[in-house]
Amino acid sequence: MRKSKLVSLMLVIIILAMSLTACGKKASDDVIKIGYVGALSGETAVWGQAGLNGMLLTAKEINEAGGILGKQVEVVGLDGRGDPTDSVNAFRRLATEENVIAVIGTNFSSCNIAMAPIADQLEVPLIATAASNPKVTVDEDGNLHPYSFRIGFIDPFQGQVLANLASAELDAKTAGIIYDIGSDYSTGLSQYFEEQFVANGGEVVAKVEGHSGDNDFRSQLSVIAEANPDVILVPWIYKDVALIANQARELGITAPLLGGDGWDSPELLSMAGEAIEGSFYTSQPSFANPVTKPYADAYMAEYNNLVPETEALFGHDGLYWIKDALERAGEATKPALREALENTTQFDGLMGSMSVDPKTHNPAKPASVYTFVDGERLWFGDYK
Amino acid sequence: MIWQQLVNGISVGSIYALMATGYALIYSLLGFSNWAHGDIGMIGAYIGFFSLATFNLPVWLALIVAVAGAGLVSVISERLAYRRIRNNNSPTMFLMIAAMGVSITLQNFVLVTVGSKFKTYPQILPVKAISVGGIYIGMLDLISFSVSLLVILFLYFLIERTKFGLAVKAAASDMQVASLLGINVDKYIGLVFLLAGSLAGVSGVLLGMKYTVYPQLGNFALKAFIASVFGGLGSVPGAIVGALFIGIMEVFVAGYVSAGLRDLFTFTLLIAVLVIRPTGLFGKDIQDKA
Repeated sequence: MRKSKLVSLMLVIIILAMSLTACGKKASDDVIKIGYVGALSGETAVWGQAGLNGMLLTAKEINEAGGILGKQVEVVGLDGRGDPTDSVNAFRRLATEENVIAVIGTNFSSCNIAMAPIADQLEVPLIATAASNPKVTVDEDGNLHPYSFRIGFIDPFQGQVLANLASAELDAKTAGIIYDIGSDYSTGLSQYFEEQFVANGGEVVAKVEGHSGDNDFRSQLSVIAEANPDVILVPWIYKDVALIANQARELGITAPLLGGDGWDSPELLSMAGEAIEGSFYTSQPSFANPVTKPYADAYMAEYNNLVPETEALFGHDGLYWIKDALERAGEATKPALREALENTTQFDGLMGSMSVDPKTHNPAKPASVYTFVDGERLWFGDYK
Repeated sequence: MIWQQLVNGISVGSIYALMATGYALIYSLLGFSNWAHGDIGMIGAYIGFFSLATFNLPVWLALIVAVAGAGLVSVISERLAYRRIRNNNSPTMFLMIAAMGVSITLQNFVLVTVGSKFKTYPQILPVKAISVGGIYIGMLDLISFSVSLLVILFLYFLIERTKFGLAVKAAASDMQVASLLGINVDKYIGLVFLLAGSLAGVSGVLLGMKYTVYPQLGNFALKAFIASVFGGLGSVPGAIVGALFIGIMEVFVAGYVSAGLRDLFTFTLLIAVLVIRPTGLFGKDIQDKA
């Protein structure tokens, strides 16, 4: 007897619970849920948490201004740990259990390459942040992932920006290149730089290779020194850049060095010191741009003076981009959102104005250029 | 540019030479290649880094602390890892395997305690180069070359002109007879490890100052090992000549052929030496080349 009483009690509870969730679902019609996947724990948590913080803050701002299409925005963040498998699981949960209309994240190409086919399958738009590999939005065969988008620029773009910077701003006619033969990032950037620089009427007078992990680059740099170019492209990560910069100055090379977002670490200044003075690099637009000041202040006020990482800007722009697309679409459905994101011709965020190429889903947007003056990193400007 | 590359090559080679002489010393005595030798240099580089960056010691004192520290770690490694194997009269293969263990232990010890981040020595010398007829010679290179030269001269004096050298040479030629003649072999082996470890410490600090410090820094010692095989395992002058040759060859291959093919050339040289002239340039003993 007792047992059956217990069973019926449980049944009642289950029915109650089901009706409650049903109620919850009804209420969610007035709410637009947007997911975030990022590394909320582990070594790279500093970026993931900044992205989620940025989105929560931005959602508050949007809600205070009346929400999107009259509905309130709710942000749901899940931990992808910077790992492809965990990120796919987090994405699945957001799409099937939380019923989000779109997901923002991650900053890792490896995670987004894994999530992209799932986004197509579940038909939930996915917006990558800093993930820069071209394969985030197109598959191996060059076919578009219809539900994958990105806010950041792709690797080849940096090469073009650097070449234009060299030709237009630095009046360079000749360039030297030292690149890492073991890295797709480095060889790709060099290739796109060279194509654009030659198209601009410049000439690459010396192109030498090295291997990350070699500590001595002087024999290659001596070849560049003899060619005496106006600028030198150094598409390496900051640790090698510091060695290359010091050894180049030691060999009497005074030409400015140019590089991509691999340079983007505060360590570079302390490791390279004076040797890096007067050099330039491109990176995603960041808080160094004065336009972002009010947002950075709001962020620090909200989160106990925590200094925001660039990922917070991606969270901000991602959310406003979704708002922009939904308002253009006029309805809060996933297919309509996808259409509207794909047909973005102008969206002005804190990271600059962007348009989307419907064939590749890659945005056309400015890259920020930074330089080093008197031992400090300065924002030089945004370039397309 | 040829002269510039030659200068670059000598500067790389002189640090290989410091490392290679340590290999040669231990090989001549115990007949095995001490794979942990580079990692002892790495420990020296870290000790030097912390003496300068954390404890703000003057440069000369930091150098002494680092060199003594590396020497000490080398002696301890011999006590803990090699002495027992040696006294058991086990094959030299056992010593080599133990040395690999020491190498992995040291690398991981640093990974756990200090971390994998790259460290840079505080700038003691400004990045400056002396220009001689269009050739740039780095201040640091000049210093590291002179230090290497001094240390190698000192080593030569120690081995050729002192009682210590005589005892080491005696033990190297026949350990049992030497011990019968009243040489305390264990003591001299300990001293040789101290000496080799200190040399590794000097090269570790020089490398750290020139480049960066990280737990896998010791891996460059592979090149020094090739140099000592090329020069003739166990021969100190051979190790020095071999190291300079490899340093210069690497620089010319990287500068005129391709940096990607540089290691191919170096390792091909190693195979060629082992096939054509296993004794190397100055080697005496063809048995168990390790």
